[in-house]
Amino acid sequence: MTILATEGLTKRFPRVTALDRLTVSAEPGVTGLVGANGAGKSTLIKLLLGLTPPTEGRATVLGLDPAAQALDIRRAVGYMPEHECLPPDVSATEFVVHMARMSGLPRAAARERAADTLRHVGLYEERYRPIGGYSTGMRQRVKLAQALVHDPKLVFLDEPTNGLDPQGRDEMLALIRRVGTEFGISVIVTSHLLGELERVCDHVIVIDGGRLLRSSSIGEFTQRTQSVTVEVEEGQDALAGRLAELGQQVTAHGRLLTVAVSSPATYDAVRDAVCDLDLRLVRLEQGRHRIEDVFREEVSSV
Amino acid sequence: MSEPPPAPPAPAAAPTGVIHDIGYRHYQGRRLGRGHALAALTGHSLRGVFGLGRPARAKIMPFLLAGIMMLPAAVSIAMMAILKQRGIAYPAYAGIMQAVLAVFLAAQSPGLVAPDLRFRVLPLYLSRPNSTADYVIAKLAAMAAAILLLLAVPLTTMFVGELLVDLPGPPQTSHYLAALATSVLYALLLGSIGVAIASFTPRRGLGVAAVIAVYLLSSAISGVLVGVLESVGRHTAALWAWLINPFFLVDAVQNWLFDTPSASGDGYPPGIGGPVALLAALVLIILAVTALLFRYRKAAAS
Repeated sequence: MTILATEGLTKRFPRVTALDRLTVSAEPGVTGLVGANGAGKSTLIKLLLGLTPPTEGRATVLGLDPAAQALDIRRAVGYMPEHECLPPDVSATEFVVHMARMSGLPRAAARERAADTLRHVGLYEERYRPIGGYSTGMRQRVKLAQALVHDPKLVFLDEPTNGLDPQGRDEMLALIRRVGTEFGISVIVTSHLLGELERVCDHVIVIDGGRLLRSSSIGEFTQRTQSVTVEVEEGQDALAGRLAELGQQVTAHGRLLTVAVSSPATYDAVRDAVCDLDLRLVRLEQGRHRIEDVFREEVSSV
Repeated sequence: MSEPPPAPPAPAAAPTGVIHDIGYRHYQGRRLGRGHALAALTGHSLRGVFGLGRPARAKIMPFLLAGIMMLPAAVSIAMMAILKQRGIAYPAYAGIMQAVLAVFLAAQSPGLVAPDLRFRVLPLYLSRPNSTADYVIAKLAAMAAAILLLLAVPLTTMFVGELLVDLPGPPQTSHYLAALATSVLYALLLGSIGVAIASFTPRRGLGVAAVIAVYLLSSAISGVLVGVLESVGRHTAALWAWLINPFFLVDAVQNWLFDTPSASGDGYPPGIGGPVALLAALVLIILAVTALLFRYRKAAAS
């Protein structure tokens, strides 16, 4: 089952093309939507919610068409915006109950769901105080709670870790993982920090300048980044030449050489080359397996 | 309200375990339609107009003004009881109290729409199964209901007072009913103008100033024109000039439909004056609602 799919989705504003013939699809689970600021992540979410029409192309969310069935989509979907969106003079409880009712829950059910959801996101006694006095971490939790309160099938979380300190970031990421696994709600989470997505996502979609760079599972991403970093005291050019002769993919980063690991034989090749050239080996380090690396390479090659 | 979710009843035959945390529960209950959400937003907004569910200082202004609206009714009942003579006439109530109504409208309509713009709560409403039209209708309904309450409560109090005091001669039931019916037109016209003006700025203070400025300008222009036109002997034109003030515009409709005495004390243009006033009031309402819809369509896309 596909939770969302786009086909040639394009959104042009008078001065800028926010999305350019984007064709992607996402399966249930936690999907990361990665891109720099202005890559078109928020525009994509607005199109999928049916808040603004596409210039060209089509999309489906949970099998529904945003152009014709926006209300049905919004009934089954939650949305946590990137920006501040909370009124300061009401309590979290009152606000989340109100938002539940706006999603069509009867009053009693809205109260029960709001209490449950606020507890799940980790807000306890504070929830009776006006939101104006909350810390950034608590506000992000309220924002998440209002997106989950009507028990959606899918939530769009736009930059949920924005403005959080490292601990708050970890807690938010753990919470997102729980939403995707324990709660059984599919998640589309955007971020421009790629490192944090690989901790929570099953699948990552990378967009840049409104175009799809790649879409693949986390496993494929980290597989592609298998590499070994080699540092020698001197003679790295000779080593690079020798390794290239042996059919290895070598890139030089200053004093360091990065060798792509295609098979275990790569390690043997590095060892043999260093011995043959009689070089003094300083460091031999496993690549960091970060999506950043792939992203950087792909962006620079576009 | 914060009670933990009830555990499912344990089978009576095997009371072997206690469930402490049953984790996330999906919502299986009813999901109501747009009408329910519209009513919920209207109720929430109407409470907001009177500062209910908000800090105490939000209640001061609306209740002070509502109290002032009651004063003439109280004085009138006292006059009927002690002096056996009628005080203020039902149809003239709104016209006489127009400054208080205008201040109420100016003070409270920005509070209805400005925070949602300023704190960017609007995207949360629009990402739920509601259209921009639903939002606009709910906000207008809330303001109109507030104005209606402000007029209907003192009028009804006064009428009950008149019935209890039992003055010689029949009670002025027809005038009371005429004033009530006209209150609906006052509520619709004032509510839509006030909310429309207030919706154009996310800043509350600016909204208050804008609404009161529109009232002061229209009443000043109307007053000056009447004075000037009377002094040059153009009596009919002066009668038309009264209609520039929205309160006298509605009073002219009442004067035409129910043959009540005019609140301006001067009468209104004879013949087509009444129908033109009604038409003008309706056109103003339609213009204000169109402006609101246009404004929120734009806000939704941004």
